[in-house]
Amino acid sequence: MIRDSVTLGELERDALTEIVNIGVGRAASSLRKMIGDQVTLSVPAIDIVSQRRAARLISEREAAELVAVRQDFDGAFAGRALLIFPESNSLELVRAVTGESLSAEDLAEMEREALTETGNVILNSCLATIANMLKRSLAMTIPEVLHGNSAALFEIDDAGDEDGLVLFLYIDFAVRKRDIRGYIAMIMDIPSLEKLKELLDEFIARVVGDDG
Amino acid sequence: MAEAGAEQVRSILAAAGASGSWDWNIAADALRIDSRFAELYGLEPEAATRDLPTATFFAAIHPADRPRIRIAVAGMLAGAERFSKEFRVLAPDGSTLWMHGRGQAHLDENDAPVRFTGLLIDVTERKRTEERLRIAQSAGGVGTFEYSDGFATATVSSEFCQLLGLHPAAVLPVRTINSVLCDGEPLLLPQPGSDAIGDTLEAVFRIVRNDDGSHRWIARRGEVVREGSGYRLIGVIYDVTAAKEQEAKLRELADTLEMRVQQEVAERREAEEALRQAQKMEAVGQLTGGIAHDFNNLLTVIIGNIDTVVRRMDMDHDPRMRRSLENALKGAERAASLTQRLLAFSRRQPLEPKTIDIARVLTGMSDLLTRSITETIAIRIDTDAELWKVEVDPHQLENAVLNLAVNARDAMPSGGGLTIEARNVEVRDALPGGCLPGAYVVVSVIDSGTGMSPETVAKVFDPFFTTKEVGKGTGLGLSMVYGFVKQSGGHITIDSTEGHGTAVRLYLARKQQDVLLEAEERRPSARMGNADETILVVEDDDDVRAYTVGILRELGYQVVEAQDGDGALRLLGGHDVGATLLLTDVVMPRMSGPELASRARALHPELRVLFTSGYTRDAIMRDDRLDPDVDLLSKPFTYATLAAKVRELLDRGH
Amino acid sequence: MPVTVLIVDDSKLARIVAGKALAELQPEWQKAEAGSAAQAHEVVAAQPVDVCLIDFNMAEKDGLELAGELRALRPDMPIAIITANIQDEIIARARAIGAAFVPKPVSADSLEAFLSGAALRLRSAKA
Repeated sequence: MIRDSVTLGELERDALTEIVNIGVGRAASSLRKMIGDQVTLSVPAIDIVSQRRAARLISEREAAELVAVRQDFDGAFAGRALLIFPESNSLELVRAVTGESLSAEDLAEMEREALTETGNVILNSCLATIANMLKRSLAMTIPEVLHGNSAALFEIDDAGDEDGLVLFLYIDFAVRKRDIRGYIAMIMDIPSLEKLKELLDEFIARVVGDDG
Repeated sequence: MAEAGAEQVRSILAAAGASGSWDWNIAADALRIDSRFAELYGLEPEAATRDLPTATFFAAIHPADRPRIRIAVAGMLAGAERFSKEFRVLAPDGSTLWMHGRGQAHLDENDAPVRFTGLLIDVTERKRTEERLRIAQSAGGVGTFEYSDGFATATVSSEFCQLLGLHPAAVLPVRTINSVLCDGEPLLLPQPGSDAIGDTLEAVFRIVRNDDGSHRWIARRGEVVREGSGYRLIGVIYDVTAAKEQEAKLRELADTLEMRVQQEVAERREAEEALRQAQKMEAVGQLTGGIAHDFNNLLTVIIGNIDTVVRRMDMDHDPRMRRSLENALKGAERAASLTQRLLAFSRRQPLEPKTIDIARVLTGMSDLLTRSITETIAIRIDTDAELWKVEVDPHQLENAVLNLAVNARDAMPSGGGLTIEARNVEVRDALPGGCLPGAYVVVSVIDSGTGMSPETVAKVFDPFFTTKEVGKGTGLGLSMVYGFVKQSGGHITIDSTEGHGTAVRLYLARKQQDVLLEAEERRPSARMGNADETILVVEDDDDVRAYTVGILRELGYQVVEAQDGDGALRLLGGHDVGATLLLTDVVMPRMSGPELASRARALHPELRVLFTSGYTRDAIMRDDRLDPDVDLLSKPFTYATLAAKVRELLDRGH
Repeated sequence: MPVTVLIVDDSKLARIVAGKALAELQPEWQKAEAGSAAQAHEVVAAQPVDVCLIDFNMAEKDGLELAGELRALRPDMPIAIITANIQDEIIARARAIGAAFVPKPVSADSLEAFLSGAALRLRSAKA
């Protein structure tokens, strides 16, 4: 029987939150190094939702066009990670990353690169931490920049045949003095999520031992 | 660490509210704790002086919280930077304390964690307060927020999200929060480029909830905490829609107050005017009633005597004399009908209300109306199918309708339309002029005639007021109708527009038990009496008494007479007078007719009583209507009506 | 003779950032840039290169592969793999081919240890 969803138990959720927290903490520290200003990342909440619902969660919050840095991962489990932020934030982010020294022309030229690099650093921090904590390795593709609304980013089409689930990490990153915020989402299919769940159980057994 | 230095650190930590501190040496896989930590965990004091197995860290943690904390610690050992967890610790005295463990990782040059140090802070009290606060917030519908200057997001409570109709989240973009605001509203939270924040957060915003699209009013309260060059906003929001709506209602009320006062004053003036009018009518009624009473007595004498002369004399020999007498009689009868109308207006005419179907009355009148109204006027009688019953005197109602119809006719000299309607009407609010709420049958007489000016309308019910040429009308028509309706417990309105016509409406109260008692027609006919039937006539007016006694004797009755009640009782007390019928005036000095009747009945229970009166209000009427047991003969009466009424009474079985 | 550092990264921005950190730490050193593994080989063939900073995450050929090839050519050259991909496996592979591991984002701080080690090694090689 094919299950149409995967639910995480309380401890599994705790464990994943903790793991993502480490990754996000690394990402924040990376971002701090890049931007040289205070960066806050909210304690992430985790949800497994349909692609359609994930798109709605974002569109409810963000009316404008979005930019995403996409990185596919493969290994013990596979999927696609997205770092999403409003398009209007994009230049602001680039400016934060590149410093104030760049001319407007350079800035425009650098935009895509800056986005790619930022996405690369943040997504890698998260994915790599997850892989390390779960004692598995993941291969990651070169990051790619996408533009579009939330439906496009989550590949929602009218046919409604998207069947993937989204591990939705409510990670708001806010940068002081800059109007920047973003979200991280990981689209995975059910077998991958089942595998992730399995690996989380392994992790829990490892650290909790008899207390579990 | 020197002992003195450690002691110093301990007291600093204690002063800071710390319940213990730890130093987890990752590389050496050993745990160091301070004495407060040891005490909290129920360990020997000397445990604070040596390396402990790292598992000790979890020993006193509540089993339900332990896995969670193990996972978090695993994160720290794997390179997470900060540890901030709340968990329960089972203290040696058996109590459960909430601890906030805050720690951080110390990394080597390769970013590998080597030590994990931290503090335990007792937050039991805060936890309880938070719980209370959480309940208060959800019960009170209060959402909280915290926003730091320059950030694009704000920390919010789930109640906050709910109030705005947003998906629950701990952090929301400021733009998202502000997106629920209606156009033109100030910002709920500042955005880059928005105006500087004021000193207070007190404000009210109109929003459209994101989930259900409903329009709400949201109030914001809170504080601006200045921090160096920036600030933090900490505050709450709550829904004030109900209060706002109330406020709007109040404002509207205040705005319309002046108008309503004017309206109120106008209504009051109208009521006062109606009262004045009623008082005037009452005064005029008293006067005319009094005059009519005396007049009736005079007319009784005049008519009676002419009647006698006409009957006694053989007038075939003298046609002129006969004509003269007939003219005199006609004049007297007209005078009698005039006084009848005066009495009607003064509401002193005796009414004989019956439960009737007005539709039948009106249908029965159509012949009469057709005859009275010229052919150039189209008459339409229209009644509701299931008309309620009313209790009125049917003859007087006919009179009233005929009167109004004739007035209508006169208002349409060159023809037009006359509509007589009867409708069931529920009056919900008191009408101006005193018509109380209730169920009524409304009889309307509507013409398309010349209409009247407001000044004229104001006076139409006054007796002797007429719009007709001198000699053409008595000026008593409408006032009679007015008196009849009022006496019947009804209400009358008149609407008139010059050039468009007039509508007179009679509001007759619905009779609740719709028992239909058809009026029994009693035709007066001269019926003779017997000598064994003795009638006692009591009348203070000598002329009237003489006339009455004359007729009764002529009819063949035995008649005894008395001038007042005392005389009558004396006669009844005597053995030689076996009176069958007492015929008495109602209004007499010293003893009234009804009083006499009751005292006479005490002597002779079989005695029948017939009252005569010019009006009956004084003593005989209860609630403006005849007591059903009482028989009454209106003055002036004729030979025939007296004969018929007396005969009927004597023949009526008990 | 001045030391030449080759920065290999397909991101121009990343090269700028690394170049900045380098200039801060070793202002005397020369800088060469390559946007791909192929370009890196060209540069190494065309001019003397003393130190290599190689991005791991590149299209076509990844940084570890390139580092392996360069290590075969220049067994003693100090090479650092630069990446945000801090997976234990990547770090282990870098170590296996004798390359240092420098996490992204590159800063003077994170680069300092590697560069000072490289400088020391170059001096002792010359000595």
